[in-house]
Amino acid sequence: MSARSFGSVFMVASCAGAALGCYLVSLRVASERAALESVETKIVMAQRDLRMLQTEIGTRGRLSQLERWNAGAFSLSAPNANQILEGGFQLAQLIQPEKQVDFQAPVVLAAAPAPEHESPLSQPNNEQTAAPAIGSGALLHEASLKTETREVPARTADQPRTAGMKSADKPATAAKPAPNKSADRPGLAAAQSELQHQKKSVDKPALGHGKPMTKPVEVAKTDPLAPLPAKHGKTKDSPTGR
Amino acid sequence: MNAPQPALVAPRPERLRLVGQRRQMLAVMHQRLMFGMLVYAGLIALIALRILYLAAFGDHAGRKEELTSFVPERGDILDRDGQPLARTIDAWSIAVHPGKVIGDKLALAERLAALMPEKTTEQYFALLRSDKTFFYLKRRAPPELVEAVNAIGEPGLAIEREPDRLYPQTSLAAHVLGFTNIDGRGGAGVERAFDDYLSDPETRGQPLVLSISSKIQQALEAELGDAMRHFSAIGAAGVIMDVHTGEVLAMTSLPDFNPNAPGQATPDQMFNRATLGVFELGSTFKPFTLAMAMDSGVVSGPGQIYNCPDVLPAYGHLVHDTHPFGRQCTVAEIMMESSNIGMAQMADQLGTARQKAWLKKMGFLDTVETELKERGHPLTPGSRWGPFETMTIGFGQGIAVAPLQLAMGYATLFDNGIYHPPTIRKIGPGHPIPPGRRVFSADTSYRMRSLLRLVVVKGTGRKADAPGYRLGGKTGTAQKVINGRYSNTINITSFAGVFPMDDPRYVIVVMLDEPKATKETYGFTTAGWNVAPVVSRTVSRIAPMLGVAPDMHREPNMSEVLPFVQEHKAEKSKD
Repeated sequence: MSARSFGSVFMVASCAGAALGCYLVSLRVASERAALESVETKIVMAQRDLRMLQTEIGTRGRLSQLERWNAGAFSLSAPNANQILEGGFQLAQLIQPEKQVDFQAPVVLAAAPAPEHESPLSQPNNEQTAAPAIGSGALLHEASLKTETREVPARTADQPRTAGMKSADKPATAAKPAPNKSADRPGLAAAQSELQHQKKSVDKPALGHGKPMTKPVEVAKTDPLAPLPAKHGKTKDSPTGR
Repeated sequence: MNAPQPALVAPRPERLRLVGQRRQMLAVMHQRLMFGMLVYAGLIALIALRILYLAAFGDHAGRKEELTSFVPERGDILDRDGQPLARTIDAWSIAVHPGKVIGDKLALAERLAALMPEKTTEQYFALLRSDKTFFYLKRRAPPELVEAVNAIGEPGLAIEREPDRLYPQTSLAAHVLGFTNIDGRGGAGVERAFDDYLSDPETRGQPLVLSISSKIQQALEAELGDAMRHFSAIGAAGVIMDVHTGEVLAMTSLPDFNPNAPGQATPDQMFNRATLGVFELGSTFKPFTLAMAMDSGVVSGPGQIYNCPDVLPAYGHLVHDTHPFGRQCTVAEIMMESSNIGMAQMADQLGTARQKAWLKKMGFLDTVETELKERGHPLTPGSRWGPFETMTIGFGQGIAVAPLQLAMGYATLFDNGIYHPPTIRKIGPGHPIPPGRRVFSADTSYRMRSLLRLVVVKGTGRKADAPGYRLGGKTGTAQKVINGRYSNTINITSFAGVFPMDDPRYVIVVMLDEPKATKETYGFTTAGWNVAPVVSRTVSRIAPMLGVAPDMHREPNMSEVLPFVQEHKAEKSKD
């Protein structure tokens, strides 16, 4: 009985509770919306301020003002066509690698140039002393030396050897013949060489003729042996040498 | 006590009637009560429902509707890069209601005069004592002044915010932008042409984007202004256009004005020489004549020979050249040295009818097609258009067009011969490129490239060359009509150029009105001496901004014209 009589009361209470709950939800929604709106309003106000400030900055930094500063105060001008590059490659082309002094290795620097510097000085000295003996002669007789070394007497071998070493064709053979050859032949050799010289003189370069005293002996021996073709090659080149 | 025996005695009839009446009355009362209750319940339910509705869907008290979206009073105008050219800001205005002033009016007038010295104390006092209900003391007042006026504390003073049009770049592109009057309506330029768009609440939230580039506009204005001052010219105009779209990248007319204070401008400053002014632009017209002749088959190519005597008698007049050939010369040479005599013969061969048809096709006989309302109508010989007029139009005298029209003609000629109407609005999603129409053949357009490049490399426009940017163009010196006859000393000089000539993209037209000779020009007032250097400097400045890469090794196909040019000693620039 009590339940039945209070049934309507419960009904009303539950309805009221549900309605209140719904109302609370909607109240919450409304307050959220209000907060959102206030944020939106703030955004719009900020946008308006931004606009205001941008306008002010734009007005203060207007192009005609910048132009006046550029032309007057900074003396700036537009770049030329040749100041504009197409890319990194063209930029890199403009840069020349600089010679850098290496302060980390001062000892090496001090030592390194010294021998290099001396050598050019020493060379002329050597030439001064050696020039009459070897100088031009060595150059001349390069081709003939190889053959000479076989047959030419030992005394002349001194010069050829050094020359032969320079040419570096047959250092071993150059050493061999020198001891074998005796001093018997100087006369013959001289005669032959003169003959040969007269024959070949037409072909030979003038330089060869410049050293009659020492060279004829050497040259004479060359003829019977192989290196002739090499000589011919040479002679062809300088017929007008005389 | 009597109650147990009710049946013994019948009720008295009046009592019975009374009971019946009471019942009836009770029923009626119940009905009325019920009705009243229902009404109240209904009202309460209505109020409750309304409250519930408001709670669920309604607005709250603090809501500020208009601030949720920001729409300016008048639409912004931006340049093509998005830089503002015109904006509406909230400015302060100071006004006074004389009737509401409660303090001492003389003291107030004294203080106002101290703060705003543009009027005297007496004037302020007279205003305050007048019968007017309201007048402005100052519009667009600076904040410091507003603060000081507010500190006076006079209730009769009204300090309000009102929308005001601001042009941040001041006089930059003034003639393009125009100005607004005191009511906020457009008075000239874009402000006038697009007034509805800018003021309509539906559209003003979206800024109006112009095709103008403020950087290029500034370069053109600065260089042209320099030249105008240097040569003491009375005016100048310049146009830079995109060849392919017809967009106007820069357009200026000098002297210009400050649109922030349009009231201070003189009519001369207000005059838009680029679109409203029409001028006889002289030799800059010659490429059109040649293109017409080539397209019509009158001229076969740059190698065609014409007889160029010192003076050409024609139809009772004499045609002169500044530097006559006195021999046979090729079309390339005629173009290079800007020979009137050669061009006159070409125009004569073309004939009046065909020339008219061509000019009509190019839009030179109609008002210039642009959105701006300041549009000039070309001047032509009209009914006097005979064979001699055809000749003079052939070399640019006798027809007057606006500089914008000339730029449009060059854009047509070098956009493979296709005409696009010039536009001041940026071509983009909201404003597609309008359909063009073919005027010249693509072949003619191509052959004109090397011819115009020749003018700059070897001819009259040598001073216009901008190294690396392959500029081609044509100088023009037109004699000005003074008191009805052509003056020999007063000129309008112009230069129309296109760059880069190997693939034309931009056209530049520059004009000086009445330039004077200076020491550096050796007394010449011809275009090769005064406007050509302007073009050179401007192009050197703007080409990198426009994305034209300088290249010293590229040229249009010069082998088409160079064989037809007779080499001789260097000559002075002439026209």
